[in-house]
Amino acid sequence: MASVALFDPCYMAALNPGDAANARLLLEALGDSVTLLDGRCCGQPAFNSGYTDEARKVGRELLRGAQPHRTIVIPSGSCGSMVQHYLPGLFEGERRIGAQSIANRFVPFASYVLHHPNLDRLGLKLEGVVGYHDACHGRRELGITADIVALLAHVEGLEVRRLAFEEECCGFGGTFSVKLPEVSVQMMTAKLDDVVATGAKVLVSGDYSCLAHLDAGARGVGLRLETWTLTELLARALS
Amino acid sequence: MSFEEQTTFKERSAKEIREERPAATITPIMRKLMADSGAMLARGPGDAKARASAARDYAIGHLEELHREIEASFARQGIGYHLAATPADAQRIILGLLGDAKRVAKSKTMVGEEVELTRALRAAGIDVLETDIGEYIVDIEGRGPSHITAPALHLNRARIREMLARDAARNPSANLPDDDPVRLSRYVRDVVGAFFKDCDAGITGTNVAVASSGRLAIVENEGNVSLGVSHPRLHIAITGYEKVIADEAAALAVLEVLAPSATAQPLTSFTHFLAGPMPGQQRHVVFVDNGRRRIARDERYREVLKCIRCGACMNSCPVYRAAGGLSYGSPYMGPIGAVLSPLLWPDGRYADLPGASTLCGRCTEVCPVGIPLHRMLLDLRADGVDSGKLGSRKEKATWMAWAVAFSGATRARAVTALGRIGLRGAGRIVRPHGDRDDPRMLPEPGIAHDPGQLTSATDRRQVETFIPVDEIASDDVVELFRARATALGVRVVESLELREDDRVLKATAAIASTGSVLLTLEQAARRPLLSAARVVVTVDPATIVRFPSDIAPHLGDGDALILTGASRTADIEKRLVRGIHGAEEMIVVLPGAASE
Repeated sequence: MASVALFDPCYMAALNPGDAANARLLLEALGDSVTLLDGRCCGQPAFNSGYTDEARKVGRELLRGAQPHRTIVIPSGSCGSMVQHYLPGLFEGERRIGAQSIANRFVPFASYVLHHPNLDRLGLKLEGVVGYHDACHGRRELGITADIVALLAHVEGLEVRRLAFEEECCGFGGTFSVKLPEVSVQMMTAKLDDVVATGAKVLVSGDYSCLAHLDAGARGVGLRLETWTLTELLARALS
Repeated sequence: MSFEEQTTFKERSAKEIREERPAATITPIMRKLMADSGAMLARGPGDAKARASAARDYAIGHLEELHREIEASFARQGIGYHLAATPADAQRIILGLLGDAKRVAKSKTMVGEEVELTRALRAAGIDVLETDIGEYIVDIEGRGPSHITAPALHLNRARIREMLARDAARNPSANLPDDDPVRLSRYVRDVVGAFFKDCDAGITGTNVAVASSGRLAIVENEGNVSLGVSHPRLHIAITGYEKVIADEAAALAVLEVLAPSATAQPLTSFTHFLAGPMPGQQRHVVFVDNGRRRIARDERYREVLKCIRCGACMNSCPVYRAAGGLSYGSPYMGPIGAVLSPLLWPDGRYADLPGASTLCGRCTEVCPVGIPLHRMLLDLRADGVDSGKLGSRKEKATWMAWAVAFSGATRARAVTALGRIGLRGAGRIVRPHGDRDDPRMLPEPGIAHDPGQLTSATDRRQVETFIPVDEIASDDVVELFRARATALGVRVVESLELREDDRVLKATAAIASTGSVLLTLEQAARRPLLSAARVVVTVDPATIVRFPSDIAPHLGDGDALILTGASRTADIEKRLVRGIHGAEEMIVVLPGAASE
């Protein structure tokens, strides 16, 4: 029985409170013992806005919390990218090396589950069709598109429809979506058009941040579309 | 630029989106271009990007040294070397070189835009004509180019026709009965062609300046650069200080990725390797520093000088597509513009441009010379905040409060819980920006999902995905050359009955993967080539090489010209129009080749 920490990113705790429970359910079904790592943030919102001191202060708390754990499962591509690629760079010298060694122990949720020796025990099964939104940070910074797609392929009865222009950003970009709403909405509209074209009424992604944005837009324009995280989909496929 | 200093990207982009909806025009064009470009790059060679990146890397690491070398090489070739520290210096040097010239034909140069060359020359009483079709159009419009390789991308054909009709005073015999891109392009061609018959100098840009040989590599499609560089008295090239490169192999490595990344062409119609001036002609090169040597010393940003100005980053950028190039308010737009503008003009006028990105990383992914653009955008945001050019006191205070809230788990849990409670319910009704153009609701925590949605999918709607069909690549270079040249609209024959007005030339070599022919020395003379009704080029099959990078040994050290299909433009809605300045028809005589 492996012992893992499950990071519950701050924005998910606020906006999608059930997600950590779903992730825990899956990890426990794989036979792992799970410690929740919550009440922390990777620092990305401030970092992407140019406030590095504030990002460092906040990110340091996450690394401190993660320090005792050998593996920290992270269910959000964009937080994962921040932790692995940018957070260590906010520290100097020895501290940076230490930060990087902790950051390297963070594993994206999809990759962790896909490569788990007990994966086949889950017996994932769910009838239906989903569209797949490939989040940019997962795709380009972490390179986990193939892992997510492979994991979805493990769900018996599920048809996954890829988007025609899946390499295009949905227009979220954190504070970008608030600072430049006109541009963000244009990008979101293009993405929703692409989603609608798939015919799927459920959109799945490894990154809840994009989904929250697309969901807010889909509800606003009255689209019949639900956005599910990968963890929610897999948890529903468990039973 | 002067009056736009007061506005922000947010203001400009909101206005562009409200009034023009740039995405409607740009997105379909760019989706197709990116797909075609990927297919063109996939033709190989497989290490093209790595070699182009290495060639540029070496150049920016040895700028001073390469400039000493090129100055000596220019002296050997009889080319004047000039270094302008500032835009004002560049204007002054060029005005000095122009002397009493009254009519100047200018082709597209981004550095020319950077130093506001056209405005300065006109202020000095010189009649300047923008000879690139796209530049000619945006010159009439007066708002500047919206893309570095397709200046008039933001305008549709109807708008272009309106502008050209207003301009028809320059050409009273103008015939613009409709907005057919062929007719519109040829109207500009005729005005430009007439101007070239009676002007005093040609000004062009330069894509690459080769240190070892002192040659200038310039790419173009229309033939206006061919006319400009062969102006009988004076040719002036203006370019960035960083555009110097070690040797021909390095130049070819850049050219091998430039056109595929920029316009999804194998090479542009004309690739010039210009040596010394013709008898009676003067040639001068003005290198503009304008902060580039300062940038070269900054470890975080020096790699931006590797840029070859292909525009792939903006072609692929969803923010550029949505906002359009004019929203950047800079001669450099898109991701490269958002990085380069605040570095070139560190006075704060472009400090907000690095914010014009979601950091999706697509620009970094497509950059053919490996510039980590989105990481530079992050560093520039931090610099903006640190220097006080970015962010209000209120914003700073907000982030400080946020940092306090999230640097303790108990506080952080309390803050997220409060956020959740606040949003729950409110998400159903509140539109966060109070703007009817923004349809987004607030996020709704813990929204209930209906598994029935999974089984209510409808059929997939066919969307045009632009998957280009690549023809089968042949291992035989002669076969490949024939196929690729034919695909460009070139007739490849075994033998030909010549006509009296044919311009008959002998190729020094040919390139199979791009369907190109290499002309050297007197065979490369531009003016007779462009005035011919039909161009006939004889190719010896034994001289065909596979890739552009393989042609270095055939380039010699004098004047050279690589032709890749006939002269063309795609400046109006990216629609291809063949035969601009120069023959529409090109025939290759390839002895021993199966005819057509």
